[in-house]
Amino acid sequence: MVNMYWPGWFIFLSPIFGFVLTYVVGRYYRNLSGIIASLAVLGSFIAAVLTFFYVQSNGTIYNSYEWFYNIHAGIYIDHLTLVMALMVSFVSLMIHLFALYYMKDDPNKHIYFAETSLFTAGMLGLVVSSNLVLFFLFWELVGLCSYLLIGFWFFKPNATAAAKKAFIVTRVGDLLFLVGMAILYSSLQGFHGLGSNSPLSIPFLIANAKAIAAYVGPNVLGAVAVLFLAGAAGKSSQFPLHVWIPDAMEGPTTVSALIHAATMVTAGVYLVARVFNIYYYSAPFALYSVVILGAFTALFAGIVGIFVNDIKRILAYSTISQIGYMLAAIGLGGVFGYGGVSFGMFHLVVHAVFKALLFMSAGAILIALMDLRDTRYMGGLWKRMPMTITLLFIGSLALIAFPYTSGYFSKDTIIAASWQYYAHYGTFSSFLPWLFLAIGALLTTLYTFRMFFRTALGKPRSYLAEHAKDPSVFALLPLFVLAIGALGLGAIQSYFYGYIDSSYQMPNIPFYIDIIPMTLMAIGLVITYVLYGTTIWQRFKFAKNPLYRIAKNKFYLDYLFTNIIAERVIVPISAGFTLFENSYNKAVNNVGTSTLKLGDMFRKIQNGVVENYFVVLIIGVSVIFIIVKLLGLM
Amino acid sequence: MLIIFLLTILISALSFAVQGRRRDYAMASSGIFLILTVIYSILRFHSGYTGGIISQETFNIASSIGIVFSTGVSGFSDALLILSAIVIFLSVLITEKGKYGESLYSYILITEAGLFGILLSRDFLFFYIFWEVVLIPVYFIVAQYGGPNKDSVSLKFFVYTHIGSVFLLLSIFTVYTFHYEATHVFTFEMSQLMVNTYFSQIPAFWMYFAMFGFLLAFLVKMPSFPVHSWLPDTYESAPYPGTVILAGGLSIMGGYGLFGILMPVYKSMGTGVMDLLMALGIISLVYFSLSAMMQQSLKRMMAFASAAAMGFVTLSFGAGLVESGYSASLELAGGMFQIIAHGLIMALIFSALFYISRSTGHESTHSLGGIFREAPILSSFLLAGLLASLGLPGLAGFIGEFSILVGVFGAIGWLILIVIFAMIVTASYHIWAAQKSLYGPYNEKLGAIHDADRATTVKLMGMLIVIFVLGVVPNLIYGILITYVGGII
Repeated sequence: MVNMYWPGWFIFLSPIFGFVLTYVVGRYYRNLSGIIASLAVLGSFIAAVLTFFYVQSNGTIYNSYEWFYNIHAGIYIDHLTLVMALMVSFVSLMIHLFALYYMKDDPNKHIYFAETSLFTAGMLGLVVSSNLVLFFLFWELVGLCSYLLIGFWFFKPNATAAAKKAFIVTRVGDLLFLVGMAILYSSLQGFHGLGSNSPLSIPFLIANAKAIAAYVGPNVLGAVAVLFLAGAAGKSSQFPLHVWIPDAMEGPTTVSALIHAATMVTAGVYLVARVFNIYYYSAPFALYSVVILGAFTALFAGIVGIFVNDIKRILAYSTISQIGYMLAAIGLGGVFGYGGVSFGMFHLVVHAVFKALLFMSAGAILIALMDLRDTRYMGGLWKRMPMTITLLFIGSLALIAFPYTSGYFSKDTIIAASWQYYAHYGTFSSFLPWLFLAIGALLTTLYTFRMFFRTALGKPRSYLAEHAKDPSVFALLPLFVLAIGALGLGAIQSYFYGYIDSSYQMPNIPFYIDIIPMTLMAIGLVITYVLYGTTIWQRFKFAKNPLYRIAKNKFYLDYLFTNIIAERVIVPISAGFTLFENSYNKAVNNVGTSTLKLGDMFRKIQNGVVENYFVVLIIGVSVIFIIVKLLGLM
Repeated sequence: MLIIFLLTILISALSFAVQGRRRDYAMASSGIFLILTVIYSILRFHSGYTGGIISQETFNIASSIGIVFSTGVSGFSDALLILSAIVIFLSVLITEKGKYGESLYSYILITEAGLFGILLSRDFLFFYIFWEVVLIPVYFIVAQYGGPNKDSVSLKFFVYTHIGSVFLLLSIFTVYTFHYEATHVFTFEMSQLMVNTYFSQIPAFWMYFAMFGFLLAFLVKMPSFPVHSWLPDTYESAPYPGTVILAGGLSIMGGYGLFGILMPVYKSMGTGVMDLLMALGIISLVYFSLSAMMQQSLKRMMAFASAAAMGFVTLSFGAGLVESGYSASLELAGGMFQIIAHGLIMALIFSALFYISRSTGHESTHSLGGIFREAPILSSFLLAGLLASLGLPGLAGFIGEFSILVGVFGAIGWLILIVIFAMIVTASYHIWAAQKSLYGPYNEKLGAIHDADRATTVKLMGMLIVIFVLGVVPNLIYGILITYVGGII
């Protein structure tokens, strides 16, 4: 067997050990739990750095062992993996450090830290795994941890309901992903290039995607790709499976930061990037579905985000929208090849940094405001908690892609690339992505600075906001680190693109198109300042406006899923089945009872008259005969 | 292995002589059986198993009419032997001192002897005898120690499964008679009767009759729709140790019948029967999942969940045998793995539920609520069991369900979406049950409740570790199952 590269395995093993250790030690020494968990994540980060240098000199790592039958398990580490592993472990480390402050008074913090450690392990394991089945194992581990962590405050009914919703909605996506695997596995039977590879091995699929497409047919492979995308949509909360993530805000804010930045929603994007070649070589509808889903979600979530008042939910919708940008970027691979992946991944990394920053600054605000999340009752916080709000400001700038922040470099490239996509195909359907993404830029500014101005400017609109105070500088240290990243990561743009795809091409589009997103952003800033930097918004009266109500109700999607599909379709069907089952059961019981009565009757018949016996025998035999005949006919 | 088996008979017979400390006696002996079985398996199967039956021994009893007691172990039956040893041990462990009468322990031990007998017998006569032997102690467990309506429920259980057994007997005699007609040799040996070359020579009508009898007997035990009516009532009424045995021990009988007895003659069965089995599997899955959703009592809900999980087994048997190549192997091995995983998981769930209902006095979702606050350990175990049952990766249930799901596409095509629908429903009601009974605000009506003590934690932890290890290192038995499948198809 190939020699094992231990640091590569250690990337995800470290937080698994951390999970056990945190729980066991934390039961007796609560205060050590956070430190152990952070050290475990630091261990993964160091392992990832070591692996980075190893891969620089020795090339891709691929260790694989038989798991069961022709399903193998192991690690596969290439440049894409490393980017993810470094990002996940670093951001997760920052969040763990902040959680030391944020969760310091929770009585069950050892459980919290054990679970976040496991959460990180799940994500890192998914990133390095070499087989789709192992990938799926970690994928579900991530889902499980998010379920546990969203419901961490289990005594809150909202939190447990949100956890349940998150689990079931992502489960729908996961199972579709599984169907995709099933089709792929069955169709690869007899493929001559298979050799001793596992049919679901990631390096095998990447390397042979072209031959596989020829063998199973591009449409079948396209179906597989779309099913994978459905799985990704569940995890990455894309339309229409995004409904779980705003509710998931009921968990601790550091958990939201983990979910949104490092450990969960990026998994879906990573899946699509990981098996990009399958999308690339299958029928064109596969990649188009990626780009249109991403672009549409970016637009859709942006619209909903404008009508939300809860500070964390605004950030949640911004995540949905930004993930849409990433997927759209990967989907542009039809023109840019693997370069699309590098655009998407860069936005993913940058987004992880500034979104973690945003969430944790929001967390700091929530601690100061005793968990008051409604932006309508904030206001004037810039004067009262200058450090936190400045951090929030930096994060917001990066989010709206303000020139020369990191978000500008990652997001504007994607919008520019989508124009080139249109220029390449010239059809209406290829124009839509650019349209959606460019409008998305305006929407991003609107919802972000609506939130920011309402939080930071004006007069405090509640007692809590009047008395808010900054946390200590030490608690905010990880946020400062992230803020530096949010401002400066743009500097590594071209190195990053080259690292993922050595032959990437920057989009080359006319200047007047290139400035459109920026102009829209400027317009957005002006609008939000005029409306929300002042007190004008308080006089708005939209409650009766039908359009407003549609958007406010999130386009009735939650209503559709919960109240129509779950309550009016599944539950009645289930009730029907139960009713049937009960009556069937009763019927069987009745047959039983009447047989006993029949027994009494037969006792009277059993008078030694052979003819009677004979009649019964004939009836019995003919019943059996009919059944058997029917079986034989099939 | 034969010696272990004879010991189980001896020990269970002797148990009636033990007075006063029969619980300790049963615990010690079932523990020893477990250890012996594991040692045996490690010695014989750890390396060098190449498929088929090993450890064969034969004793002539009345060879002129073919009554021979012959035994042997295949890779599959060995895995089931370990499973039943574990389940029986657990069911003894979770009984409380002094709550049940002495006879319960004897019944449990007889059940173990019967199960071992079923799995070891390689001739139909003794197979049938042990098949019946298992029924009787379980009947008594339900009838003596059961909950509400124990009399009618136990009678229903007995009569219902007995009807299946009658057809099993008829089928056995059918193949036995035709074998005599063809070769003028009386034999009950499975190695003679259940081979394709012979089986396909039986006149079509009688072959289908035999098949029908076998299938009916196995599907009743499985249980599969529409012959499942005994199951929810029995599971619900049985005392918890009995439910553990039913769910973990008896549920293997149907699966063993399909994979252990019928699989070698699959070529004679024709695709019609396979289609029927696949259809029954899918219907069972959907039907039981949807029926489970509305159940108030967690015990009854899990009874349906157990039946739904067995739907996967029926499905995999039908689908695996119409496919070929690596999908078929994965599928069939997955089906067998599912039987084992299901037994372990259900044993864990019912044990955890037992302790919860003992400390709260309730087992329905609406009268529990928020008990995580007071009993975090028990709740965690129940949650772990539920997650394993819905097929979460990393736990044993996933390996089976994954293999079946991935393999099945070649046989049923897009009907797989129905299976997926059932799995989503399954996930929903599992999570829903957990949320209602474990989380949320504490139901103050329950008063103060006790969490698991150290001994309980160890017992449940043991089960969870087995489930977890099988989920992470499935090859402990998966490889053997694959070898076993490879020897047949």
